[in-house]
Amino acid sequence: MALLEVQDLSIGYRTKKGYLQAVDGLSFVLEEGTSLGFVGESGCGKTTVGMALMGLLPPNGSVSKGRIVFEGRDLLKMGEEEMRRIRWRKIAMIFQAAMNALNPVKRVDKQIVEAILTHDSQKDEEEAMKEVEGLFQLVGVPVERMRDYPHQYSGGMKQRAIIAMALACKPRLIIADEPTTALDVIVQDQILAETRNLQREFGISIIFISHDIAIVAEVCHDIGIMYAGQLVEYGPRDKVFESPGHPYTRALLASYPTLTGDKKRLTPIPGETPNLIHPPEGCRFCDRCPGAKGQCKKESPEWIEISPGHRSLCHGSP
Amino acid sequence: MRETNLLMNEMARPILSLEKVHKIYRTKASLFGRSGMEVVALSNISFTIERGDIFGLVGESGSGKTTAGRLMVKLEEASSGKIYLDDVEINALRGRALKGFRRQVQMIFQDPYQSLNPQLSVLDTISEPLTVHGIGDGESRQELVRQAMKAAGLSPAEDYLHRYPHQLSGGQRQRVAIARAMVLKPQLVVADEPTSMLDASISAQIFNILLEMRKELGVTLVFITHSLAAARYLCNRLAVVYRGNLMEMGPADTVIQNPCHPYTQALIDALPKFGDCRDVKPYGTLLRVDSEAREVTGCPFYPRCRKAHRIKCSLEIPPLREIGDGHFVACFYATPGSRGEARSDDACFYGT
Repeated sequence: MALLEVQDLSIGYRTKKGYLQAVDGLSFVLEEGTSLGFVGESGCGKTTVGMALMGLLPPNGSVSKGRIVFEGRDLLKMGEEEMRRIRWRKIAMIFQAAMNALNPVKRVDKQIVEAILTHDSQKDEEEAMKEVEGLFQLVGVPVERMRDYPHQYSGGMKQRAIIAMALACKPRLIIADEPTTALDVIVQDQILAETRNLQREFGISIIFISHDIAIVAEVCHDIGIMYAGQLVEYGPRDKVFESPGHPYTRALLASYPTLTGDKKRLTPIPGETPNLIHPPEGCRFCDRCPGAKGQCKKESPEWIEISPGHRSLCHGSP
Repeated sequence: MRETNLLMNEMARPILSLEKVHKIYRTKASLFGRSGMEVVALSNISFTIERGDIFGLVGESGSGKTTAGRLMVKLEEASSGKIYLDDVEINALRGRALKGFRRQVQMIFQDPYQSLNPQLSVLDTISEPLTVHGIGDGESRQELVRQAMKAAGLSPAEDYLHRYPHQLSGGQRQRVAIARAMVLKPQLVVADEPTSMLDASISAQIFNILLEMRKELGVTLVFITHSLAAARYLCNRLAVVYRGNLMEMGPADTVIQNPCHPYTQALIDALPKFGDCRDVKPYGTLLRVDSEAREVTGCPFYPRCRKAHRIKCSLEIPPLREIGDGHFVACFYATPGSRGEARSDDACFYGT
């Protein structure tokens, strides 16, 4: 049985201008111990997916349809009390700019001990402190720095402390939303290596959310490309990169400068992402797509399997 | 003949040069009697930028790259050292000469959500510099604004002229900022991380607009970035800075294909890559990861450098020396072609 199975998930926000369909018909399966990366640009719905999995959508947001089956049970059918027991204990999240989430007036080790004790009333403080020590070693923060205050940490150390906190309850699944965006490349590289280690050693499943294809490629087995609230391509990392099926994936790859290979002129994607309050009929990418045909404007595309496990939501896919 | 010679000389003269520039910030003495601390943002920086260059300043946060940019446009003064624009020392500029300087040099800031006045329409934003410098009248100003907007990819202009920043996307805002910087037809534009707040597909638009402007208007660009890949795409020359020190400088392709400073090599090692080589560090020059500030008397990279020799590197600051054609490195032990052993770059994909 898969650890997590999301079926036809749709999420919307009530806004002043109308109902905004942030995520539309998302389905995917995450096996135990594997990692999945969601890539997309701002406003594509990737963060909303993470929040929905945690049951932490803002008050004006709600799931309009679909199922989120985690360990065989639908999270959407659970009450708040039951969800609270799963959150952090089974599913943890590392938020965007989470390093600003540490309490500035508490020592870092105390904050993590608190997190452990809140979720596990069986333990006493001493045991919890032992665990924190182990966690710090694991994420590479020197143990003698445990008792420092957050402001004494560098950005990378704060992010490591946050990862330690996410690991504190030994979750089965970690959702990491842009965990390295505010960090320098050398620190980012270390955090990504750490993430891969966690996965190898403890078999934790990871959902990695990022705008940067290269980062996701470094960490994840499978990749889902999101555009305007929809998943448009899904498959094993190498397949998606080497033979991208969706025109948006190809366009995204062509807009990244690289360090090796020919210095080709970058091709930006013309136009803007569609308005999700009144989404266009047919394919959502067709206004910006170089290969759009008449059919694309009228009919919503169906999923097409390009190779085993690799699919694309496009009329023109091979 | 003589005229062409003059022209050639004009072309070869650097537009901007920095000579031994230092910038030190002093923190205020605290309430509890601790005296103020000194933070060295830039230390002994010297380089020249030729007319028509796109010069990249690459570094991590806190490296001093933004400070260098702010000094170049005279938003701040150097603590010591000299900066010349066209052979005129900019520190001494006052009054009319300073206003002339402000017309020649413009800056594009990182965050287009903060750099535009929310109360001004696009037309007012872009024509403001023209008003300040007393260029043209109402009608001709609008024409200049339209030209600048077209060059910045905001066309048709009518669609944008009367909009306000909150009605624009991030990419459009940044294009307004570019148009405002370009409307005075400056000689030098300093762009400080102009795309770090934007999505990749939009960044590519901004890069291409900047390249186009250099070609069409002959403007010299200083591009400040943390991304080596973006610098490779845009720049013909680049300088790598680390904790306020210039570590390596040269033609962009040389520095990226044949980096000789261990720090530049560590930066390239750290870039995300995928496939079989993702755990391979082609250079492996990074000794320690933590990057906390600590006092170093010698090479600033010494505490983290695997190649460092204890006595020499910890005591002496390596001078910037030329090791190849226009390729400068501040390392005692760098030699041309001092590559790592496990190079397999063709198989890798490096992103931003």
